[in-house]
Amino acid sequence: MPVSNRLILLAFISLSCLELLLFSSFGVLKPAEHWKPLDIAGEGGTALMATCWMAIVLGSRPAGRVTLLLALGLAAVALGAWADGLDEFFAVSSALRFDKWLESALTPLGMLLVTAGIMAWRSEQLQLSEHMQRRERLFREHRAFDRITQLADAHYLRQQMALERAAGQPGSLVLLELAGFQELQRTHGKREADRMLQAVTHQLLLNLRNHDLLCRYAGERLAVLLPGTPLLVAERVARHLQQMVGLTHFHTGDGEARPSLRMLSACAELDDEPDAVLARLNRALEGTASPASAALAT
Amino acid sequence: MESVYDISTPLIAAQHQPALLFDHLHSLDVDANAVLGARSSQHPLSPAQYLALLRQTAAHLNSPDTSFMLGQQALPGHYGAASHALLRAPTLRHALALLVAHPARLSPLLAPHFVEEAQHAVLYWTDACGAGSLRPFLVDMHMSAVAALCQWLAGSRLPWRFCFNRTPPRHTEQHQVHLGTQLHFGCQIDAMLIAPEWLDRPWAGAPRAASAAVFDGLLAQAHDEEPRQSLLGALYRYLLERVRLAPGLEQTAQHFGISPATLKRRLLAHGTHFQAELDQVRAHVALQLYQCRGHDSEQVARHLGFNDAANFRRSFKRWTGLTPSSLRDSLDPPLLA
Repeated sequence: MPVSNRLILLAFISLSCLELLLFSSFGVLKPAEHWKPLDIAGEGGTALMATCWMAIVLGSRPAGRVTLLLALGLAAVALGAWADGLDEFFAVSSALRFDKWLESALTPLGMLLVTAGIMAWRSEQLQLSEHMQRRERLFREHRAFDRITQLADAHYLRQQMALERAAGQPGSLVLLELAGFQELQRTHGKREADRMLQAVTHQLLLNLRNHDLLCRYAGERLAVLLPGTPLLVAERVARHLQQMVGLTHFHTGDGEARPSLRMLSACAELDDEPDAVLARLNRALEGTASPASAALAT
Repeated sequence: MESVYDISTPLIAAQHQPALLFDHLHSLDVDANAVLGARSSQHPLSPAQYLALLRQTAAHLNSPDTSFMLGQQALPGHYGAASHALLRAPTLRHALALLVAHPARLSPLLAPHFVEEAQHAVLYWTDACGAGSLRPFLVDMHMSAVAALCQWLAGSRLPWRFCFNRTPPRHTEQHQVHLGTQLHFGCQIDAMLIAPEWLDRPWAGAPRAASAAVFDGLLAQAHDEEPRQSLLGALYRYLLERVRLAPGLEQTAQHFGISPATLKRRLLAHGTHFQAELDQVRAHVALQLYQCRGHDSEQVARHLGFNDAANFRRSFKRWTGLTPSSLRDSLDPPLLA
C-alpha cells in the first residue's frame, strides 16, 4: 500500500477512536434495556461495510486523486454511520447535540465525495482504454502482457494475423529491430536497455493509427500489424517510424550518456501463413543487420 | 587422474552465476529473495543447488525468454581469470578453446566440446550434472551466451547455425530473435556450427585483444584457479578418445581411480549410467562421420569397430531412435552443405 494511502487509513482509525472518546466523555451510557438491536445492526453494519470498501480501495489502487476522493468519501460515510451507531449506546445531553451534527453532516458529505470519485474514475477509465487501444486491438482478454513493454506477445500477433487473413483484407506487417540493444545491455545494464525499449514503444504507439497493433515479437524485435494497408504504404510507415526513432534523444538514467537509437525494419504483405510471413521478415532483418557499430555518443 | 566435480560438489561461488539470477530478477522488479530464498554469500553452491535456483526462476517468471536473457548476461561473466581471459581472447578459436578448457567456471552445468572439420567448426554441449527436464532451457541459455559473447566481441552477429536435440517447437520466435534464423531441430545433438574461416579472424572492434603471451598467462592463471572438469564431461572425453576400443566400465573406473561400483553410483546420481554415456559418444561420432565427412554406414561401422553394417544400423537405431538413412532424410537442409 502506498504511504499516502496508509496515512488515510491511519487518520480514519484515529478519527473513529476520537468519536468514541467524544461520546464516552460527554454522553451517558444508556441502560441495556434501552438498546435497539435492529438499529445497532443496521448502523453498525453500514459503518463496517463502508470501512471495508475504503480498505479495498486503498489497498488495490495507487495513490492519486481518484483514490483520495473515493477513500475520503467512504471514510466520511463510515464515520457518520459510526456516530449514528454510538448514539444508540450513549445519551448525549440536548445542550451539546454534536451527535446529530456528526450524523447529518458526515453522511451526505461522504456521498458527495464518493460521487465525485466515481466521476473521476470514469474519465480515468476512458483514458486507459485509449491508451490500450493500439496495444490490444479489438479484444480485451485477460492475458499476460509483456512485463517490460506492456505489449502483447508473438502468440497474440499470430492470432491477429490469422484473423486478418481470414477476413480477406490485404494487410501488411512491419517487423522492427532496435539496433545496438545488446551493446547497450553490456555497457549500461539490462535496466537501461529495457528503459530504452519502453521509450521506443511509447513513441511507436503515438505514431500509429487506432486500429494498428504493436506487439513485442521477442527480445528487441517489435511487430506492427497494419490492417487493410498495402505494402507500399506499409513501407512508408516503416520509414517514418525509423526516422522518428532515429531522431529521438534517449538519456540513460544517470543522465551521463545518450546512446543513439537506430531501428531496422522489414515489411511484408499478409499473403501467407503467419509463421511463414514472420520467418521471411526475420530472415530479411538478419540480412539488413549490418555490423553493429558501438554507437555511443556520450 | 584429473580432478573432477560432480552434482554435489560445492563449486559455484554465490557471486558468480547465482548472482546473475538475482540481478535478472531485480531488473524485472521481482523480489529475488522471496523467489529464491535469502542468498548466503559465504558458501559456494553445488551444481544441484544452482539447478534448483534456475528451476525456481524459470517457474516463477514463466516467460519464454528467460533462458535467453540469462544467457546473454552469462559470458564472459565475472568468474575470475577465466572470464578475464575470455574478454581478452584475440579470436573465436581462442575463445572456444578457453570455454572448453574451463567449464567449471564458465559453464558448470553443460560440458562444451569442440570439433573442427573441413567445412564446419562445431561447438556442442553435453549434460554435465544431470539437468533432466531443464536441459532444453540450459541449452538455449548456453547457446545464447556464446552467440551474444561473439556478437559483442566481433561487433556483429556471427553466422552460426544451431542444431537442437529435441523435436521442433511449434513456434520459434525467441530462438529466431536471440540466436538467428538458421535453426535445425531433431538433430540428435545440441550444437552450434560455423564456417572454419571465422575461427581465426581477429575480432573487428577489438582493442581488448591480448597478445599471445598475455593470453597464455591468463590461461595459466585460470587453470590455477579452477582446474576441474565435470565427471560426465571428463568421462565423455575419455570415451571419445578411445571410442574405437569401446572401453568397459571396469577399465574406465580404473582410469578415474575409483571402483566400478563407485563409478556406477556416481553416474546414477546424475540420472545416467555407463552404457548410456558410451552410446551417446558413439552416436555423436557416427553423426560427425555422416554429416561432416559424408561417410556411409559401412565406413562408420568399420570406424566404430562393428563387424558388419547391419549390426551397426541396429545399434544406431537403439542410440538415437532413428536409422542412419532416416536421420539423413530428417535433416533438411542437410548440415553437409
